[in-house]
Amino acid sequence: MDILLEGIIIIVGNYGSGKTEISINLAANRKLAGIDVSVADLDLVNPYFRTREARKQLSELGIGVILPPDKYLQADLPILTPAVAGLIRKPSMLTILDVGGDKVGATVLAALADALDGKTYRMLQVINPFRPFTDTLKGCMKMKGEIEKASKMPISGIIGNANLIDETTADLIYEGYDFVLTVSLESGLPLEFITVPSRLSDEIDMKRFSCPVLKLHRQLVPPWEKAASL
Amino acid sequence: MGKILMKGNEAIGEAGIRAGCLNYFAYPITPQSEVAEYLSHRMPEVGGVFLQGESEVAVGYMIFGAAACGARVFTTSSSPGVSLMCEAISYIAGAQCPAVFVNIMRGGPGLGGILPSQADYFQATKGGGHGDYRMLVMAPASVQEAVEMVMTAFPLAEKYRNPVMILGDGLIGQMMEPVEFPEHLKSEPSNKDEWATNGMETRKSKKRNLVKSLFLDPVKLNENNLILKEKYERMKREEVRYEPYNTDSDYRILIVSYGTMSRVCKTAIDNLKAEGIDVGMIRPQTLFPFPEDAVFQAASKKSCRMALSIEMSMGQMVEDVERCVHGRCPVKWYGKCGGEVPTPEEIMDVVKSCLS
Repeated sequence: MDILLEGIIIIVGNYGSGKTEISINLAANRKLAGIDVSVADLDLVNPYFRTREARKQLSELGIGVILPPDKYLQADLPILTPAVAGLIRKPSMLTILDVGGDKVGATVLAALADALDGKTYRMLQVINPFRPFTDTLKGCMKMKGEIEKASKMPISGIIGNANLIDETTADLIYEGYDFVLTVSLESGLPLEFITVPSRLSDEIDMKRFSCPVLKLHRQLVPPWEKAASL
Repeated sequence: MGKILMKGNEAIGEAGIRAGCLNYFAYPITPQSEVAEYLSHRMPEVGGVFLQGESEVAVGYMIFGAAACGARVFTTSSSPGVSLMCEAISYIAGAQCPAVFVNIMRGGPGLGGILPSQADYFQATKGGGHGDYRMLVMAPASVQEAVEMVMTAFPLAEKYRNPVMILGDGLIGQMMEPVEFPEHLKSEPSNKDEWATNGMETRKSKKRNLVKSLFLDPVKLNENNLILKEKYERMKREEVRYEPYNTDSDYRILIVSYGTMSRVCKTAIDNLKAEGIDVGMIRPQTLFPFPEDAVFQAASKKSCRMALSIEMSMGQMVEDVERCVHGRCPVKWYGKCGGEVPTPEEIMDVVKSCLS
């Protein structure tokens, strides 16, 4: 089952839910499927481990990457480059907006309301049930409500990203899938896709899932590890 | 409870709660702010208090006040913020109160930058504030170790009635790793009735407890300093912690490195081993007390030709390494400070250049 997302896709979720890792991998996945893709780094709240960390790999694949100007890349300032609004007005076949965590991170979207006005977009909430505050249905719904309130935009789908990074196992993926499926059924939001670390993809029974699966090639690694090739 | 995925800063906050500390005062600063943000959600859930001070100076004295009353209390900050707290740390040490300080270091001096650094080694281990005081300083290399050190810090602070510092670089605060909170590290109630100003009625005692760092009589001040000195000597005897790595091999180079820098070194050591080059490492888990004997013994090994202090600072720990090696072999420094973390490949090149 392939991921068929197109148009403007806004990736939101709580801190550390995996938005950036998913944005980078989704961009690469769709680009390799022949779609024209751009990614904008809208994370104004996280100081480390942002889309900008993978800009070289993404550019090499021919993916457009919108970042703050170079001299501000490591600044502790909420800089929103006007290029983002430009990208929304003239989007690629798939345009991914990688937004910062929680309601605080999602607040930036309100600043893009004019650019988004009249555009068709989908806002997807990334859920990792092994993170604090989204380990229960109630927690996920609270996060959804807070992000929607801050961004003044509705969430229209879910991405399941169950993982414990290097300690992720097949059983944990199954447990996480069952959890996000429940969230999907209870909330009425479609489960767009789930993620599976590429190193586990051979041992996981993909038939168990009723949604597409995005294989994650980990990009956001600490300095003593190497990023996987996309 | 199984493992969950946490950012270092969140895990440090949760570890404070799990250690039974329900008083947290802080002021936000990158790359540490998530501790405050996390505890602003969590403290109300567990009946605890999070108060944001008007500055780090204020926070330092809020910590002193709470500690003097016998409350288990902690704060977190990053380098410039800790500089502002150093005066209070000196007062807390002088008045012999327990408190836990976490420094998630960023590059300095001055405002510096927001990326990882280990440039507050001197500040943490040699002073920072004024007077003859020391802090017990622990340096985690993983999020799990940060949890365990925070949970251990509270009983240690109470055992010595002295500030304890967790010294983590920015990566410790910002990276995500799976963690669990060990039940056995929950601490016992403190011995506060013996010294805290927690109310004579509360402790059913007729003895007044007085908490102070002012001793105008020079004899009394000297006596207080001797008491402190004895505590620091006891820390040196009882609290040294370190992790040896590949020290059973016949290494020619010995690395001394701590925190996340040591994880880069481990990758380099593993890669070098695959190329047939053995390198040993001592990773200090306590920076004060420094693992003096472990470094001396490791540098004294017959095969060892050189000790290398590898740090994200411009040669601060290397002074302790030189002191401990006692001239058994030459000591060199390698490091960067500004936010760039040296890569495993850089460390491998440094080791090879030392061997050539």
